[in-house]
Amino acid sequence: MKDINILSIETSCDETSIAIVKNGIEVVALTILSQMDTHANYGGVVPEIASRMHTENITMVLEETLNKAHMKVSDCDAIAVTYAPGLLGSLLVGVEFAKVLSYVYDLPLIKVNHLIGHIYANKIGDKMKYPALALIISGGHTELIKMTDDYEFTKLGETQDDAIGEAFDKVARVIGLKYPGGPNIEKLAKEGSNNYKLPKMANDDTYNFSYSGLKSSVINLVNKEKQKGNEINKADLACSFQTAAVEELTRKLEKALLETDIKNVIIAGGVSANKYLREEIRKLCEKYDAELQLPEFIYCTDNAAMIGAAAYPLYLNGDFTGLDLNASSTADIC
Amino acid sequence: MHLFIDTHLNDVVVILYKNGKIIKKEIIKDEEEHSRVLMPLINKILDKDKLESIIVVNGPGSFTGVRLGVTVAKTLAYTLEKPIRMIDSLKCMALSTDEEDKIMGFSDKNGYYIGIFDDEFNLVGDYSYLTNSEYEEFSDKYHVITDIKLDYEKIIDYVLSLDEVNPHKVNPIYVKKIAVEK
Repeated sequence: MKDINILSIETSCDETSIAIVKNGIEVVALTILSQMDTHANYGGVVPEIASRMHTENITMVLEETLNKAHMKVSDCDAIAVTYAPGLLGSLLVGVEFAKVLSYVYDLPLIKVNHLIGHIYANKIGDKMKYPALALIISGGHTELIKMTDDYEFTKLGETQDDAIGEAFDKVARVIGLKYPGGPNIEKLAKEGSNNYKLPKMANDDTYNFSYSGLKSSVINLVNKEKQKGNEINKADLACSFQTAAVEELTRKLEKALLETDIKNVIIAGGVSANKYLREEIRKLCEKYDAELQLPEFIYCTDNAAMIGAAAYPLYLNGDFTGLDLNASSTADIC
Repeated sequence: MHLFIDTHLNDVVVILYKNGKIIKKEIIKDEEEHSRVLMPLINKILDKDKLESIIVVNGPGSFTGVRLGVTVAKTLAYTLEKPIRMIDSLKCMALSTDEEDKIMGFSDKNGYYIGIFDDEFNLVGDYSYLTNSEYEEFSDKYHVITDIKLDYEKIIDYVLSLDEVNPHKVNPIYVKKIAVEK
């Protein structure tokens, strides 16, 4: 069979990324232009600035990707783009750019859900196995999904309030850590111990998660100590919070491993870059003789290669979209 | 033929221009989702094999609107390897008036974009964005031309005399400050 090369575009937040992915599993070339340094000046991603930088850089990111691949756009078989979920203004730049490429080169256009992209980051290197339990953990999502085949998803549970990444970011701000909050908590937690007693989250019979209680208890604790004039041990608090936050995930994942007898686990989304979390989930998988599928580090955070991987089954299925495609800030996996 | 794109406010304007004449003018009024209509419209009316160059209105105006027009225009120019030129929204207005004092302005929801031009259509000073109350004071002192029918033929003819720009360097003009800049 002829090789299928998909040129894929990802601009849902603060990375301008373009990739060429062969047969959904092999990354021919990948460019990721991160805006993190710019947004760090403001203490977080400024959506309008993110959109501006996508427009400024996107044709140059394409040029770099084509140069790396020694290919032309016309050598590709389809154009894929993240259309949702994410920052609307940022998504729109990628969507509009993708439409022009589809028009100019008469190539089919494929719209990809960003979260499904994170799951398919595991396809790179052809490592993904079904059925699988997929844990989607990011700044906007905390979901446990059962996957029985390509694009066959069943949602088992999701967060009832904050997403795990959101909780990391808010706690980071409360204890005075700089943006990006999640990685900075992880760094600080290494120097601390799990000494602060944080309330256990309600144990219910569902696969749902909750993070607002944990977040509030950290905020209350910081405020209380401040009022008393006590110094908080930031490293210990970071460690205690991270331990509790990860425990919430492993508790529900363990329940699913027990009840479904599925032996493949996927973790996806920006928070899956957290090494402590990876280690805890690895231990849990060992206990149940399940195989943990982790994307390579570079494919954990936002990147276009995962979008090309997620677009491939849609390409095979002829699941194409028109030039009237619009971006959307929200979208469910299933 | 030359392709002219203007999405700096509510309307989506796409014009084809050839041999000194407009051969097609499509205006979609009060479009809230420029992204849904711009590329289908270009696809419908433009024969890309006959494209000679691209002109884009790169602001000031609606951030998202301008950005879409600019993203489409620079990507078309880069991929089709055609010359691209930019023109400011307020200069389009200045080119369309016979009045001597060219103080041009247009409004969005919260205020007015203002630009002052000399006889050669050069911008005098910088663009400004006035809140509605600032504008009231300003327009008491000066005659601001806000209601004007754009002379697209004159505009396109003028832009074609300008230097072309590297597509990578085609970017919007942002005048209105965002919260973090204030």
